[in-house]
This record gives sequence, structure tokens and C-alpha cells, in this order.
Amino acid sequence: MLWLKAWLEVRWRFVFLVGSILVVWLAPLWINATGVQPGVAASRQWMGLQLGSVLLYIFTAIYLAGSGINSQTMYAATTGFHGSMFFTLSLPVSRRRLLFVRTGLGALLTCILVVIMAGYILFLRPEATSAMQALVYMTRVIVCTMAVYALSVLLACVLDEMWQFMVACFFWIFVFMLQSKIEVVSRVSSLRGMSLNCYPITAPMPWTPVVASLVLTGVLLWISVLVVQRKEY
Amino acid sequence: MNDKLIDAHGLSKSYSGTPALRGLDLAVPRGSICGFLGRNGAGKTTTLKLLLGMLRPDAGEIRLFGEAVDAEASSIAARRRIGFVSEDKELYPFMSVGQTIRFTRAFFPGWRRDLEEKYLELFQLPLGKAVRKLSKGMRTQLMLLLAMARGAELLMMDEPTSGLDPAMTEDILRALADLAASGGTTIFFSSHQLAEVEQICDRVCIIDEGQAVIDGELDELKSQYRRILLTFDGEPPNALAGLAGIDHLRQRGRTASLLAHGNVDAMVDRVRELKPSSIEVRSVSLKELFLDHVRGE
Repeated sequence: MLWLKAWLEVRWRFVFLVGSILVVWLAPLWINATGVQPGVAASRQWMGLQLGSVLLYIFTAIYLAGSGINSQTMYAATTGFHGSMFFTLSLPVSRRRLLFVRTGLGALLTCILVVIMAGYILFLRPEATSAMQALVYMTRVIVCTMAVYALSVLLACVLDEMWQFMVACFFWIFVFMLQSKIEVVSRVSSLRGMSLNCYPITAPMPWTPVVASLVLTGVLLWISVLVVQRKEY
Repeated sequence: MNDKLIDAHGLSKSYSGTPALRGLDLAVPRGSICGFLGRNGAGKTTTLKLLLGMLRPDAGEIRLFGEAVDAEASSIAARRRIGFVSEDKELYPFMSVGQTIRFTRAFFPGWRRDLEEKYLELFQLPLGKAVRKLSKGMRTQLMLLLAMARGAELLMMDEPTSGLDPAMTEDILRALADLAASGGTTIFFSSHQLAEVEQICDRVCIIDEGQAVIDGELDELKSQYRRILLTFDGEPPNALAGLAGIDHLRQRGRTASLLAHGNVDAMVDRVRELKPSSIEVRSVSLKELFLDHVRGE
């Protein structure tokens, strides 16, 4: 039942994201591709995809990380009420399990949306792509997006949702600015790992950002478990 | 069988250096209905959260159902036997009444379908209605249904009737009294409503500034305590303050009001030696006991 509760809690976010991706991003590109000169359209599409994909991956991960186990709505967070948190915590369930279910479902839905978006990029790509190249691209995008997701999970364990959203956004903007200035950040950045601009689809697996993202994801989720287990509500 | 379902000793808890509980001792025997009273900020909600494992005590020991609750596993085991109604009465707004009942039922193997149906009918809760569209009274009723139908041995409630109209309050109090009488469920609830505590409780615990100032059977407390009203020809003598067995003394002009407990007859004999012009001994209400102990006069 915890999975059902997690789904009911997050379903409208998922629907909103699917709608946003369809209406704001995929549909215009599709229309553009059929109504403009082929060469120009393809070039515009590709620029749009490069610019928009990373932003959408990040937004999806942050938005679906939601409110940890707090079950707080945006309204509840801003008014100081605790939502249904006390009811949840009074159930005979460990906090680790509550976090696992909520985080697991959010991660699954994030992966689904990332696969849809990355799949669409592969579909519209002007050049042919081998199955291995597609697999490498999908894998690195998912792994790097999970690092973004894990940070938001941790933030959601300690902050109200409104602050979690803002802090996560500012953090990744900061990383984006830092990666052009500091070599080490540039090499390990999850943002670069998921970017088509930095690593084209034909590029081999960029192991450094991928491994760094995996480690970061593991560490952040481990800290989240510790925080939730020790937190006082 | 454990005599005390809740047994806490020396509970202390501070928030950023500000003490909320200072060595609270609390005992709730099986089968009792215990009212937990105190002013705002006295430490009632903190105590309930400590008992449910939402907070950890800085010091002290908690035993629920005879078992020490000092880790998550023991807290989970205790929560299987506890029904809880929180102060804010918040449930999942994205679920319907029916979904909320099915969701909660899944965690409690001893779920009582008969009680579920009984309270659904009594409270007239619409199964298909979204929780976010329920009034506060209906949310309280739904929370009570969820707490009572799980077959809990212990019901903990944080101001269960706050914000409810008198008719609904009466319905809920009746349901609680019925549950305790028919099912043997132990009920422990915090409240500001002294009248409702007096109506259904057989035991009270009054806390003030994080410590229990009164804890015992309500009838016993009422029989132990007496108000002694004295009138003197002049100023009341200073010796009044030094009398043993006096919990509180209030003086106004030529009159003095004593709250005494224990051997009141012996107390009256001692007071007579101070030559008052009149002595009147009255029984005390729960409200008087409460006010005299928490006002700090």
C-alpha cells in the first residue's frame, strides 16, 4: 500500500511533466520538423534539443523527488503545517522503508521520463545511431539524472518542498557556472555527463562523470537514510 | 498482562536549549481513560511524540506494553498496537475516505471490520469523498475510525475534539467511552477541555512546565483534595503559609483560600488554632485542581 500511496501522491506531478514535455518541447519540434526546410529544421531541432534536454532532465528529477517522507504539499510547507507526516510516522513502518518506497517510485518515474525524452532525441537525430550508441546515451543520461534526483531527495529530507526546489535549482546553476572555470568540476559534473553538447551521441561512455554521478547518488541516498532515521519530527 | 500500558520515567526533552520536559513521570494503567492536561506549551504534544518515536528523549525511559521503547524496532512493534489521532487531524488529501481506510487497514492484521462498519455508519462518512474535501470534524471522525478499527490496545490522541462543535464533540466522547467500556481499550488523550475530561476520564495527569504536578485516579484526587475557605477578623496570619499539606494558598483581604490534600480533618484542626472567624470546607472540581496547579500562584 505504501507504493500506492506514493503513486497517488506523485501522479499529478508525473502527468504534469508528461504534459509539459509533450506540449512545450516535443510537439513544437515535431511540427517544426515537418513544416520548414529539412536542413534548417534539423539544425534548429538539434539546437533546441541540446539546450532543452539537460534542463528538462534536471527539472524532472527535482520535481519528482518531491517532499521526501514528509508528504507536504507546497501549501502546507509555506503555512507551517506538517501535512500528513504525523499520520505516516504513527504507522508501524520503518522510516527507511518509507523513504525507500517514496524515493524508489520517484526514481522509477524519473527514469521513465528520461527514457522518453532521450528516446525522442535519438528518434529525431539527423544521423543514424547504432543500438550500442543509443544504449550508452540512455545509460549516461539516467545515471547522471539520478545524481540530480538524489540531491533533491536529501534536500527534501531536511527542507520544506519550496526550499528544496529552490536550493536544488541554485546548486545546479552553481555547478554549471563552476564547471566552465574549474577543470575537476568539469570532468566529474553530472550536467556534462548528460549533455549532448559535451559528449555527442557517438562518443564512447564518459566514465568519469558517470562513475562520479553513481558515487554521488549512493552517498547522497545513504546520507538521506541517516538523516531520516535520526530526524526528529 | 502489564498493568501499565504507558510507563515513562524521568523524561526530559529540550528544543535548542529550551526545556520542554523536565523529568516527566507518567503511568497509564491498562483499561483506563486518562486525560492529559496542561497549558499551551506545557509539553503534552512533546510527550505524545516521544511515546510514538517521533522524537527521542534527552533523558529518561519509556516503556509501552511493558517493553522498553529505545530503538526503531521496538517503537514499530509498539505502534502496531497503538491508534493515534494527531492534533492537526491531517490525512492524505490525495486519497478518498475509502482509499484511506484500505491503506491503513493494510498495516494492521487485527483490523476490526465490524468497528469500521459501525463507525462509518455512526459518523456517516462518504467513502468516495476526497479527504481534502472533508470538514475538520469529518477528518477527526475519519482519524478516530482509523485509530479505533485497527484493533489498537492503546489509543493516543492529541486534542481530539479541538475545533469541533458541541454535538460532534459529544458523539466522539460517547464513541470513546463506548470503546473503552466494550473493548477494554486504554485511552490516553491530551485536552484543554476540562469538562470533557471530567466527563469520560477515570484518570488525569496534569503537567506544567514539563513536569507532572498531578497524576492519579480522578475520583481519588477529588476525594483527597479540599478547598478550605477561611475568614479572619484581621489580616490572615503568616503561619498559614507554613502549614503542611497545603498545595496552594491564596489571600485576599481578610480571606484565605487553601487547597489542601491528605488528611483534611487534621488540617482543619490545625487551621482552627489560628482563630479564623469562619471556616468552610468544600470539594474541588477538576478545573480548580488544574488552575491551582498550573497558575503558579
